[in-house]
Amino acid sequence: MNKPADAARDKAADAAREHAVEIRFGQVGLLQVRLHTTNPGAILDELTGRTATAPHFFERTAVCLDLSTLPKLPSAEEIRAVMDVVRRAGMLSVGLAEGGASVSALAQDLDMPVFTHIRAVNKPVPVVQAAAPAPEPATLPALMQNQPVRSGQRVYARNRDLIVTANVAAGAEVMADGCVHIYGPLRGRVMAGAHGDTEARVFCQAFNAELVSIAGIFRVFETIPPELAGVPVQAWLAGEDLRFAKIGE
Amino acid sequence: MTEIIVVTSGKGGVGKTTTSASLSCGLARRGKKVAVIDFDIGLRNLDLIMGCERRVVYDFVNVIQGECTLKQALIRDKRLETLYVLAASQTRDKEALTSEGVRRVFDELTAEGFDYIVCDSPAGIEKGAHLAMYFADRAVVVVNPEVSSVRDSDRILGLLSSKTQRAEQGNGQVKEHLLLTRYSPKRVATGEMMSVEDVKEILGLDVVGVVPESVDVLAASNAGVPVILNDNSDVSRAYEDAVARLLGETVPLRFIDEPKKGFFARMFGG
Repeated sequence: MNKPADAARDKAADAAREHAVEIRFGQVGLLQVRLHTTNPGAILDELTGRTATAPHFFERTAVCLDLSTLPKLPSAEEIRAVMDVVRRAGMLSVGLAEGGASVSALAQDLDMPVFTHIRAVNKPVPVVQAAAPAPEPATLPALMQNQPVRSGQRVYARNRDLIVTANVAAGAEVMADGCVHIYGPLRGRVMAGAHGDTEARVFCQAFNAELVSIAGIFRVFETIPPELAGVPVQAWLAGEDLRFAKIGE
Repeated sequence: MTEIIVVTSGKGGVGKTTTSASLSCGLARRGKKVAVIDFDIGLRNLDLIMGCERRVVYDFVNVIQGECTLKQALIRDKRLETLYVLAASQTRDKEALTSEGVRRVFDELTAEGFDYIVCDSPAGIEKGAHLAMYFADRAVVVVNPEVSSVRDSDRILGLLSSKTQRAEQGNGQVKEHLLLTRYSPKRVATGEMMSVEDVKEILGLDVVGVVPESVDVLAASNAGVPVILNDNSDVSRAYEDAVARLLGETVPLRFIDEPKKGFFARMFGG
């Protein structure tokens, strides 16, 4: 048994001496089962088909029933039948997704909780969501780097292209979420599509890179292919394949 | 106006101290008032190269810690009367240097009317090297024509453009100069050594001097006479040229080509 676990247990024991219970706010992930029908047979077929693909993942998993996509509000009986087939598929229904006063009444009949959607309009917007950065416009101008990028230095263009008008030394790193253009000799490492943009490309004037990466797919150059050394080159992704070609041919 | 010049390289053993000694002698020979400071605390060498090791009473660390005055610690050169040496401490370590202390010494030297402060940086990129370059107006990056020295110099150039007072305050750039030492045109011709052009291309800087490889350097170091003062040496001429270029003169590069072969050697020597 490791020390942190012991410490946590001691702490819990201390807390138990003071209070019988502790009520804390915690967020947990919850699967939602969105019903398109209340026909138990159809639901069971569908669910057993899904769970067969990953039985352990769904085993005794708590699910929340979402009734919003049903043509009309079902009765408590119908829901009980649905809960029964959900259980037979290996999962446990623990509540209903919020859906107005009628769903709340239904939940009361069933003696089940109603789970409130984070996105529910009648709820104040949680602070975490308000603080989340708004998606930045796609038209940020490219980051210009006019000084040489020296060994040990890194330049990163977030959410945009990077243009380097000087050289990139061996041991230096230039990165962009978009494309990277280098108009001096490139001897260091270059990463385009740093956040997974597979359309990003690398263009350089004199190719001698140590490493080229696009959207995480990379290639190191222990020996530069002789036909590429020192000439203008572009690199792009074709599926999982990182490709290189001389520019202007 | 006092100008602070750091002589640095990243890699050790490339000739920083030899260069610091020769450049400061060269500047002093042209009538400039020069202080040359050894920043290599714990491994002091500059006093040996300058031939004043027996005259070191107080050192740079003593001044920084207020144990003596700057005047007491400055050692006046016996050959050139406008040249002063501030030795490093051999018994302390680099932690004895403080940014505030270094600034104070520089301010005092400025008030004393020095034209140039030449800082002999230790190897590496640790505190000593950082403080040696921090206040610099100019940097002479000493590089040998081989890959590891060039790589380290590139790293140092990166630090000069980001970790100096000028860079941090947005007060213009540190002016960077490249000085190649231990250059052997013969080995360049056979492809064993990188050429001036190769180094210039990789580092993207112009060269302020090319100093040929020579036995005169070791002899001068052992004798405690900066090699620039040996007037019969190509090394001395190369450093003189570098000093001239630092002062803004235009001097063509010398000692970068192999001595011309004779007619027969050219015809039959391959």
